[in-house]
Amino acid sequence: MRYLSFIFKSAFLDFSRNKGRTILTSLGILIGVLSVVLLMALGLGLKKYISNQFDSLGANLIYVMPGNEKAMTSGAGMMGGIKFDDKDVLRVKRIEGCEVVAPVFAKPGIEMEANGNSETGELIASTDEINIVMNLQLEEGRLLEHRDNDKRAKTIVISPKIAEKLFDNQRNALGKTITIEGQNFKVIGIYKSKGGGGLGGSDMDSHVFVSNAAAYVFNTEKKYFAIYAKAESKDLIDRVKKDIKTSLLKRYDEKQFSVVDQAEIMGTINQIFNVLNTVLVAIAAISLVVGGIGIMNIMYVTVSERIREIGIRRALGAQSKDILYQFLIESVLLSIFGGIFGLGLAYGIVYLLQSLFPAYIDLISIILSLGVSSVIGIVFGVFPAKKAADLSPIDAIRYE
Amino acid sequence: MSDIIKVDKVWKEYMMGDVLFQALKDINILVKEGELSAIVGPSGSGKSTLMHIIGLLDKPTRGKVFIQGKDISTFTDNKISTLRNEFVGFVFQQFNLINKLTILENIMLPSIYARRKLNYDPKEKALYLIKRFGLVGKENSYPNKISGGQQQRVAIARALIMNPKLILADEPTGNLDSKSGNEILKLLKELNHKEKMTVIIVTHDQLVAKETKRIIQIRDGEVVA
Repeated sequence: MRYLSFIFKSAFLDFSRNKGRTILTSLGILIGVLSVVLLMALGLGLKKYISNQFDSLGANLIYVMPGNEKAMTSGAGMMGGIKFDDKDVLRVKRIEGCEVVAPVFAKPGIEMEANGNSETGELIASTDEINIVMNLQLEEGRLLEHRDNDKRAKTIVISPKIAEKLFDNQRNALGKTITIEGQNFKVIGIYKSKGGGGLGGSDMDSHVFVSNAAAYVFNTEKKYFAIYAKAESKDLIDRVKKDIKTSLLKRYDEKQFSVVDQAEIMGTINQIFNVLNTVLVAIAAISLVVGGIGIMNIMYVTVSERIREIGIRRALGAQSKDILYQFLIESVLLSIFGGIFGLGLAYGIVYLLQSLFPAYIDLISIILSLGVSSVIGIVFGVFPAKKAADLSPIDAIRYE
Repeated sequence: MSDIIKVDKVWKEYMMGDVLFQALKDINILVKEGELSAIVGPSGSGKSTLMHIIGLLDKPTRGKVFIQGKDISTFTDNKISTLRNEFVGFVFQQFNLINKLTILENIMLPSIYARRKLNYDPKEKALYLIKRFGLVGKENSYPNKISGGQQQRVAIARALIMNPKLILADEPTGNLDSKSGNEILKLLKELNHKEKMTVIIVTHDQLVAKETKRIIQIRDGEVVA
C-alpha cells in the first residue's frame, strides 16, 4: 500500500513539475479518444435515428421493391429496374393474410410553393391505405380517403413542419393551395409529426401525400416504384412474403424484384452502418497510436532526465522491476488522463450536438476508450520503462 | 568478531577506448563486524570502485566478494538489490537525496523497497532519526531547502532506516565545510561506537582517515598498506 502510494505520488509530483509537458503528452491521447468516442457516438446515433424512423412506420410491413435483394443492400436496386403496375398490385392483394396493400409512387426533391414561400420535400402518391402502412396519425383536417383517388381530387396531406414553413401556422394551411411543378393541390389535412429532422432526405416530415390518381400528372406511366403491404400478423410475414414472391415470379425474373420485411431492411442498414462505423473508428484509432508514440517519446525523455534518481533508488534497494513499474505507471497515468479528458470532452460535444443529432455515448464506448488508453500507456510505456529498469545501478548513480 | 565482508582476489578492469584499464588489481580485504575503517587514496586510485563493489553496486571482473560468508557472485540481481536494501546503508558525497520528495519521504524511501515485513514502523523510526539528528521541523521540507550539513544528516538517517549492518560513506565530508564535516564524522563514529555498526569511510583526506581505527591505503588499484 505504502509502496503504491509512493509510486503514484512520485508520478504526480513529476507531472506537476512538468505541467506543460504532461498536458501536451496527454493531448495526443485526448484527441485520439475524443475522435474515436465521437465517431462511435455519431454512428450509434445514426443507427438509432434510422431504427426510430422505422419504428414510426406500421408493424408487420412487407416491401415489394425492384431489384434483387443483393442489389438492395448496395442501394442500386432502388434505382432503375422494373416498375410495378396495377396487375402486380392485384396479385399482391389476392395473397391470403395480406391485410393492406399500398402501391407507392414517389417523387423526391420536389419544390412546393405557396403563399410566396417554398420548401422542398418528397411527394408520395398512393392509395388511402398508405395511412395504415406508414402509420400516419391525423393532426388537423383529414387524411387521404378512398374518394380522393376515385375523384382524382388534387388533394394533399402535409406535415406540421411544411405547414408552418409555407403558411406560418398549421391552421392557416387547411384549404389552401400548394403548387408543385405547376400543379395545384389543396391541403386537406396535416399528419402528426414523425419526428426526426436534420438529416434532409430521410426526414419523414418532408413527406407530402397525394392520391395515386392525383399524381398521374407526374406518373404518366401509371407505374409504382414499390408496393407496400401489411401482413395480418407477425407470424404470417414469412408466408405472405413467399406467396407474393411466387405470384410475382410468374411475371418477372427472380433478379428483377425483391420482397423484404422491415427486419431485413433494418438488418441490412445496420450492417452497412457497422462496416462504415468500424472503418471510421479504425481511422480515428490511428490518432490514438500517434498519441501513444508521443507518450513513448516523452517517457524516453523522462527516463534520461531521471537516470540519477533511478541510480539512487537502485542503490537504496529498488529492484529493476520496481523501476519498471514506476515508469510504467507514469505512462499509463498519462494515457488515462488523456482518455478521461477526451471522454469528458466527447460528452460535452455530444451534449451540444444532441439538439441537432441523436448522438449518444454508450457504456461500451466508455469502457473501450479507457481500456484502450490504458493499453496504449502500457504498450508505449513498456520500452522506456524497460530502458530505465535495465540501467545498471552503478552507471545510473554515477550519471551526471 | 566474525568477518562481515571478505574481498577475495578482486580485479576490476574497464576498456577505455582500446586500452585496458585496471581499476583494481588483486584486492584482498577482510572487514570484521563492528570495525570502523577508512579506505584512503588519491583520486583515481580505485577507492570508489572498491566501495561500489563492497556496496554491491558493481561487480568485480574477477575475484569474489563474500558478505557474511556468502558468495555474492551466485546472487541474482533481485537478491543483490534486496541485500543492498537490507544490509548496506549508503552515504554519498553528493548526498543523493531525491529533491522532489520531502525529508521524511527521503528517509523512508528504502523502506518502501523492503521485501519482507519490517518488525517496526518505518515512519516512527524516521521521525525518531529526524529528532536524533536535529532535523525536527524539517520533515516536510525539501532537500534543496536545507543546508549541506543537514542534507548529509538526512542521508545518514536514510542509510539507517533499514537497520543495516554496514554503513558505506563515500567522501561524506567532501561537500561540507569543516564544522559540518566534523559533525558528520562524529555521527558516523558514534554509530560505530554506540550501535556497533560496521562503518567504512572512503576518503582522500588523511585527517578524516585518522579518525578511524583502521586505514586501508589504496594506490593505483592496489592495497599498499
